[in-house]
Amino acid sequence: MARAALLVSSILLSCLVATSYGATISSLMRTLVVTASPAAGQVLKAGEDKITVTWSYNNTFARGTDSTYKTIKVKLCYAPISQVDRAWRKTVDDLSKDKTCQFNIVTKPYNPSNNTFTWTVERDTPTATYFVRAYAYNSAEEEVGFGQTTDAHKTTNLFEVHAISGRHTSLDISSICFSAFSVVSLFGFFFIEKRKAKSSQQK
Amino acid sequence: MEVEQKPNDLSTQKFPLPVDSEHKATVFRVHSFAPPHMRAFHISWISFFSCFVSTFAAPPLLPIIRDNLNLTSTDIGNAGIAAVSGAVFARVAMGTACDLVGPRLASSSLILLTAPAVFCSSISNSPVSFLLVRFFTGFSLATFVSTQFWMSSMFTARVVGTANGLAGGWGNLGGGATQLIMPLVFSVIRDIGATKFTAWRIAFFIPALFQTLSAYAIFFLGQDMPDGNYSKLHKSGERHKDNFPQVLYHAVTNYRGWILALTYGYCFGVELTVDNIIAQYFYDRFNVNLRTAGMIAASFGLANIFSRPGGGILSDAVAKRFGMRGRLWTLWMVQTIGGLLCVLLGKVGSLGASVAVMLVFSIFCQAACGLTFGVVPFVSRRSLGIISGMTGGGGNVGAVLTQVILFRGSRFSTETGITLMGIMILCCSLPIWLIYFPQWGGMLHGPSSKGTTEEEYYMSEWSSTERNKGFHQASMKFADNSRSERGRRVESAPAPVDQGTPSPGV
Repeated sequence: MARAALLVSSILLSCLVATSYGATISSLMRTLVVTASPAAGQVLKAGEDKITVTWSYNNTFARGTDSTYKTIKVKLCYAPISQVDRAWRKTVDDLSKDKTCQFNIVTKPYNPSNNTFTWTVERDTPTATYFVRAYAYNSAEEEVGFGQTTDAHKTTNLFEVHAISGRHTSLDISSICFSAFSVVSLFGFFFIEKRKAKSSQQK
Repeated sequence: MEVEQKPNDLSTQKFPLPVDSEHKATVFRVHSFAPPHMRAFHISWISFFSCFVSTFAAPPLLPIIRDNLNLTSTDIGNAGIAAVSGAVFARVAMGTACDLVGPRLASSSLILLTAPAVFCSSISNSPVSFLLVRFFTGFSLATFVSTQFWMSSMFTARVVGTANGLAGGWGNLGGGATQLIMPLVFSVIRDIGATKFTAWRIAFFIPALFQTLSAYAIFFLGQDMPDGNYSKLHKSGERHKDNFPQVLYHAVTNYRGWILALTYGYCFGVELTVDNIIAQYFYDRFNVNLRTAGMIAASFGLANIFSRPGGGILSDAVAKRFGMRGRLWTLWMVQTIGGLLCVLLGKVGSLGASVAVMLVFSIFCQAACGLTFGVVPFVSRRSLGIISGMTGGGGNVGAVLTQVILFRGSRFSTETGITLMGIMILCCSLPIWLIYFPQWGGMLHGPSSKGTTEEEYYMSEWSSTERNKGFHQASMKFADNSRSERGRRVESAPAPVDQGTPSPGV
């Protein structure tokens, strides 16, 4: 049972480390203006097409609201339609548990205006519908503001990515060949078996 | 004295291990690879292990696969159910095949026929194709039956529980080992340079090749019975080719087979269910990360290294003193305690307590599996294959039923489902009280006052015509060797290491 005790204690330890007070998205103010190059409904190819993101501080907010902003992280986020029946992409208010935005586009130091970045959609981005969101972090790495390319209900201005299949012709051919070989060798077995039985009877 | 000289005269055959009158080994030496007995053991558990690795190769890689194939939770749940449902009928069919052509050909055939499904997992590109490859790969779990049949053919009554428990347990280990093997293989391939969505596909070649090679090992190194393979024994007349409808009839009319099928559904079926749901349970309820959840999931399956064999050894140990009655009582008690722990598992609210309860639960659940197959070899001699297949198939039915009723959709939270599963275990273990062997007794009553013997019980499976032709001889030898199931009241006959003349027909 020493193994069980070790497992239990290491799990407890990792739990303690993971527990941290998380900000909630409902408490964040939408202080950033974010736009992205894909038009609504456009389909991008993973590994090939590019997204150009621009973001800036929304000046209609009171001055000094962005005084704590230190870094900006721009992320690719799942639209609700790609979250249906997929608990691993769920939107949860507690940001430390939220799984909406799983792909990092870029991390940059905070600048109130003239921020732009061109990103090639990564090869292992799954097929889904997305929007772009930017989080502002303070020096303690806590979220203090955000902005996104879609509206509050995440229904407008969404675009799609088509993933690579991951299949290659060589892989396909290997699979088929090995499969065929397995079946053929089975018939070989039966043939050998019949021959052995006949010869032992003739002895 | 033999009148005719047969080509391979059995009277001059020597075995490395001590054997009984059927040439089954009377001791079990796990470190030995001596043919035919111990070699058969090692080949069968390794091949069964490879089938388990293949069948449960997808779950640890699901976070990658679900993004590549655009799967929903429903797709994943259905594929998980499909993976264990194929084996329901495959196990019964395998039992039949073992009875008719022997475990060596039956298992190597099945393994080679399901290897294509594992190879083709690499080229699946949609939820439907994913479900299909998991479904057909799952058929390979029927090698469990050939494993148990083979052990029951190679080892005598006194050690068959141990042999069955070790072969089954170490094979089941594959379900735990794969949760560690597949992520490792995947990361190595990805580090070499493949993208995620290609790396998982290449990773599936490993279990597929392992499975294919194990089938070759079975064919070239294995042997159906201590005296040879079925095809040779059939042709030389030492073993007659049995009549399938009769074998089937004697299997389905034996009520003990049906009861054991039901109770096995609530130890092994529960084990399969937990294999499928436990990682997600810990991930969602206690918010551990995926790797930790995978490690916890693996530890449930890895307990099989000692828990299932422990059940088999325990079965043999109680049988020494209390015979078959001891085997039945121990089976019921261990499975019931497992049920109580399952109820508790759904109720505990902290991570540490959950892991602890889960580990103890895994030990009792898997020990019950080992104990079940301490009883199965005695239910029937003629239809051993089909009875083993029915019991094994019943295990998978239990897994399908439990997942469909309790772990699909959102009717129950997972923790409520686990508690309800525990209650189902308690209820479905009660029928063990109804199992009764006239020659040995059952849980409530001792052996029949009519003084039924082992010979009478096993001879009842053969008609008088068949008996006149001498087809029942193998069953008679088994009956003689199974007298140890009476417990301490009867001293078992000594088993010579090297048999001179075979004893006259019992």
